[in-house]
Amino acid sequence: MRRILLAVLAALPLMGAADDTFAIRAATVHPVSGPKLENATLLVVNGTIAEIGNAKLAVPKGTRVIDGKGLHVYPGIIDSSTQVGLSEISSVRETSDVSELGDFKPQLRAAVAINPSSEHIPVIRANGTTTALAVPGGGLIAGQASMMHLDGWTWEDMTVRRDAAMVLNFPTLSASGDRSFADARRNYDQQIRNLSAYLESARRYQKAKAAPVPDFRIDLALDAMLPVLEGKVPLLVGAERERAVRDAIAWADREKLKIVLFNVRRPGKAMTEIKSRNIPVILGPTQELPLEEDDPYDEAFTVPLEFHKAGVKFAFGTFGNQFARNLPYQAATAVAFGLPYEEALKAITINPAEIFGISAITGSVEKGKWADLILTDGDPLEVKTQVKRMFIKGKEVDLDSRHTRLYKKYMARP
Amino acid sequence: MKTRRLLVALALLAAPLAAEPPSAVAIRNARIITVSGATLDRGSVVLRNGLIESVGASTSIPADAWVVEGEGLTVYPGLIDALSTVGLNTPTPTIQTTGRRGGGPPTGDPAPAGPVSRGPEDRPLNTSYLLAADQITLADRRIESYRNMGFTSAVSFPTRGIFAGQGAVINLSGQRPSAMVIDPSAGLYLTMRPNGFGGGFPNSLMGVIAYIRQIYLDAGQYKEAKAIYAAHPAGNKRPEYDKTLEGVLAATRILLPAQNPKEIHRMLRFATELKQKALLYGLQEGFLATDVLKARNAAVLLNLRWPERARDGDPEAVESMRALEFRDKAPTTAAALAKAGVPFAFYLGGLERASEINAAIRKAMAAGLTEADAIKALTLSAARLFGVDDRLGSIEPGKIANLVVTKGPLFEDRTEMKYVFVDGVKYEPAPAPAAPASEATR
Amino acid sequence: MKLASLLLLGCGALLAAPPIVIQNANVLTITKGSFKGAVVIKDGKIVEAGEKVIIPPGAQVIDAGGQYLMPGIIDCHSHIAADSINEGSVSVSSMVGIEDVLDPTAISIYRALAGGVTTANILHGSANSIGGKCSVIKTRWGKGAQGILFEGAKPGIKFALGENPKRQGNTPNVRIPGAPISLRYPATRMGVEDVIRQAFTEAKQYQKQWKDYEARKASGAAVIPPRRDLKLEPLVEILDGKRLVHAHSYRADEILMLLRVADDFGFKIKTLQHVLEGYKVAKEIAAHGAGASTFSDWWAYKVEAYDAIPYNAAIMVRKGVLVSLNSDDAELMRRLNTEAAKTMKYGGLTEEEALSLITINPAKQLDLDNRIGSIEAGKDADLVLFDKHPLSSFAKVQKVLIDGTVYFDRDTDLSDRNRRQLEKQKLLDKEKQNQPKKQGGPGRRPA
Repeated sequence: MRRILLAVLAALPLMGAADDTFAIRAATVHPVSGPKLENATLLVVNGTIAEIGNAKLAVPKGTRVIDGKGLHVYPGIIDSSTQVGLSEISSVRETSDVSELGDFKPQLRAAVAINPSSEHIPVIRANGTTTALAVPGGGLIAGQASMMHLDGWTWEDMTVRRDAAMVLNFPTLSASGDRSFADARRNYDQQIRNLSAYLESARRYQKAKAAPVPDFRIDLALDAMLPVLEGKVPLLVGAERERAVRDAIAWADREKLKIVLFNVRRPGKAMTEIKSRNIPVILGPTQELPLEEDDPYDEAFTVPLEFHKAGVKFAFGTFGNQFARNLPYQAATAVAFGLPYEEALKAITINPAEIFGISAITGSVEKGKWADLILTDGDPLEVKTQVKRMFIKGKEVDLDSRHTRLYKKYMARP
Repeated sequence: MKTRRLLVALALLAAPLAAEPPSAVAIRNARIITVSGATLDRGSVVLRNGLIESVGASTSIPADAWVVEGEGLTVYPGLIDALSTVGLNTPTPTIQTTGRRGGGPPTGDPAPAGPVSRGPEDRPLNTSYLLAADQITLADRRIESYRNMGFTSAVSFPTRGIFAGQGAVINLSGQRPSAMVIDPSAGLYLTMRPNGFGGGFPNSLMGVIAYIRQIYLDAGQYKEAKAIYAAHPAGNKRPEYDKTLEGVLAATRILLPAQNPKEIHRMLRFATELKQKALLYGLQEGFLATDVLKARNAAVLLNLRWPERARDGDPEAVESMRALEFRDKAPTTAAALAKAGVPFAFYLGGLERASEINAAIRKAMAAGLTEADAIKALTLSAARLFGVDDRLGSIEPGKIANLVVTKGPLFEDRTEMKYVFVDGVKYEPAPAPAAPASEATR
Repeated sequence: MKLASLLLLGCGALLAAPPIVIQNANVLTITKGSFKGAVVIKDGKIVEAGEKVIIPPGAQVIDAGGQYLMPGIIDCHSHIAADSINEGSVSVSSMVGIEDVLDPTAISIYRALAGGVTTANILHGSANSIGGKCSVIKTRWGKGAQGILFEGAKPGIKFALGENPKRQGNTPNVRIPGAPISLRYPATRMGVEDVIRQAFTEAKQYQKQWKDYEARKASGAAVIPPRRDLKLEPLVEILDGKRLVHAHSYRADEILMLLRVADDFGFKIKTLQHVLEGYKVAKEIAAHGAGASTFSDWWAYKVEAYDAIPYNAAIMVRKGVLVSLNSDDAELMRRLNTEAAKTMKYGGLTEEEALSLITINPAKQLDLDNRIGSIEAGKDADLVLFDKHPLSSFAKVQKVLIDGTVYFDRDTDLSDRNRRQLEKQKLLDKEKQNQPKKQGGPGRRPA
């Protein structure tokens, strides 16, 4: 009873006003954008990082000071592909809002279907993820992926960038089952034609809108394509293997579109095309089985290293909810198999921020950015490390979840 | 065009029916491949009443014999397809073990739809009592096409289900189905094909194996129960008649599918456990398992339809080393078996054209199989594996007069099939069309 | 005579493989603490482990270079290395068994080996209240089906409770056109209990039937033997304590139900598998004496996994349950060491407790702790060498020994890759060369 009361008291100040102004002292700060700072002071004012300095850094009188001794400050982790808030129990259809009907629906916006009360949200952030891209699926153009903060009363509070990317599931060419390759090819070519025709109609719509024709009518779907045509929103193009990557790039070249490749696994020779166009890539989970029987057993573990060697900018995504909390360990696996540690850390912080156009406000511990921070007792990529505290826009976030609640309840069962 | 070809075909079919065959035929001055003994570079063979009367370098030609001048010709025993469906009333010709990825189990007829089975007691996919000998139909056009390629006999099996039925050794000619049967109990054909989705027990490979095991236990108990009941009917419950168990008990041998070493080991152990005399069929990765086959005194039926790369595959598809090695090495199996002394016979596995069959055999020969062993695997070995080598498989006096007479060596596309004798009846095969019919008519 | 046999033994030892000493290793014995020292292997067994050991003459010495040596990892729940996993047609499928369909050529064996797994419990699927028989294997890559079987392992069987076994009792949401719909009992958790109780009631009758028959036969009567029933025989073995039950379970209610059914019929549940709500009834599980083999952090993939928590293992350990972590997955199987580390994060287990969950505890759950699960003299030399502490996210397996033989060596694996690639290319080229030339390419059409 007393313990519960204490916990409530401890939580109280967090609910008060102006909690987003504080200083952390004596912590080791890992800005990611620069070298780590030992015994540093970090000043947060109104949710924004105001100053980073050494132990001598003065903070305004009355500022709440957090003792960071023995703790490490990292930017909040960003997951570049999840279904967070869109899906609760994957096997129960009624709890999933991931895939809409139809082939072309760019007007769909993931942010509006994020359930802020999803039990996944606190579970995922407990391991340090402050920000996640919610990605719709289904059809060819699936809709807009939204970058979400993992805290907020409403989805509006949570939205970092509603239109972080437009999702395109690039058609795949594969002869499976009874279908012959020639058949598959025909089907694929048709899909590509449909896709290009759709882009063409979006362009016509763009022109018609710019110089209104008498019978111009708003089309929500085509209207949603305009930021893509204007290069303001990247097209997130799913392509796993060499042929798909090659074709997707060639298609994007033809259509003059800005793309981010998504879930790339084996680009093969197309890696040079990725590099020469500086296309950023969202890598699929590293903790996967090899694609082919004859592949080296560590094939999936070494994919990020290949991209690093090629000089391609990449970020990691978990592509789900259930294992989204393991994003740091996914990055760690790549390190175990050769990826430089710093690159792994970037791939879950500053890289996704840059790729999705939010690096001015988050993704690293830098002056002027939001205080999206985690305080840990060690390296967040190590499994046994605990995330002790989390701040999103300077506001401290509760790290309890359905899991910790059940833990406490049943540990106490007589 | 079409009609004319049909008429020709009918005429050919009708030929032996029209004229009563002469009681004796003599092929003289031919090269004779006896298979069982030495090859005669120049000799004669005399057939009478459907049997081989004599063979030799200086055998005398009976006065009443219809003489075939064998100058420049070669006489072989008629070929045998050791595992077939030819002559049977089946909708789709099967027994194929094409080169599936990783050498999967042989495929064949889909299981017939039936009531959902809830366990071994329902006897699912079990027609062990079905006799191929009762299923023969003269309407199967393959009888003639097989014969035209030199095949005079086949061991044909029902192939549907798990306990598909009992095969028969048949001759590929006859006026009545019953006249074609040489041995109606060639063995029980088993597959490892489970029920499809929603079809009930068994729907997995391990279910199939457990089911077969249970059936053999049941058959043993059934046999014992019948014996005890026959001796002591009073006070004992009458064993219920079970036609599936009757079929299992009647089998002289069982045929079990095994394509790769894993399956070969598995099926050899299984046959030992079931205490059944077994022939393994498939065996295209047998080159990796000759030691165990030899050690266990196994006898096998080798599928001649070697695996091939899919014709319309994805050019960028990544194939496994296993699949590549399988395709590369499968044709070496025959030579490996011969070298290890494992008895084996070939079966066509669905190959239907002479050119395909020739190519397949030449592939095996290119991989080290001698011509003599290739011929043996299509004649005497097949007869021996099914226990009819006292009747078929070689040119010896007293055996059934099944012969192939060629101009040129077997397995060469340019070789002409001059005559085929089945039960002493002479057929003159029409020359094979130069190209597949569909292309010729275009 | 005695002297002669001694001499013979000596000769045998000379002919056998030389002893192996792995020295300069951080040895994590699991049961006897950790130290920097060496392990001596002879005839496939560990003969000595300590800070200072006696190096036998002629021994092959492996310098571990300060890396970490732990017992081979044991996965108590896997579905690799088998050609079929589920006989889903019937609710009691105890007549089937994995041993009949082992696939020693499955590449998943090598991959598991490369993740440090040396022993795995290959279980039947979970579509049936009483499933098929399972097989314990060692990941002896390159051996045949008989060669990978864990010789002498006690037989086991799979049970399953909850959503999976009742699924076929309910009309599916998605129907395959043309496929027959035949609902299979049971459709509820009540029905699952019923199926199990019916089956054991039948098994007891079967047992009696045979006893009666033997008695009458012994008295000289000409009596027809009962039919042997492969479905019921494994259940009789369970009743006789000769077969271990590994029961797939999720919710606390069904876990308790099964424990009570077992109590009523007088047998033990050896392990509850998954047992995601085990933490809610840990007391009851411990009292029954069942082990629990769970996931580190799987949850929310179905309704019965919605109360799954990553603290499950730690709670059960603290409440006296014998706990292991399993993979149920060919990929996860390769990272059970970091799965174990999660129990330190969620629930604060010690390093030794965490590593026990993937070594000695699953060994006990398979009744194989006299053979495997720790580095102790007399046990099988199943060992894994990690470059870093195995509980670190950055650790990777360098070498794996089974029965004292090196089955995986990362350096060998790496140096072999090029050769294998070349060999494959050679075959591809050969096939291309032998490909019959097409008569008229696809582009050439008659005008």
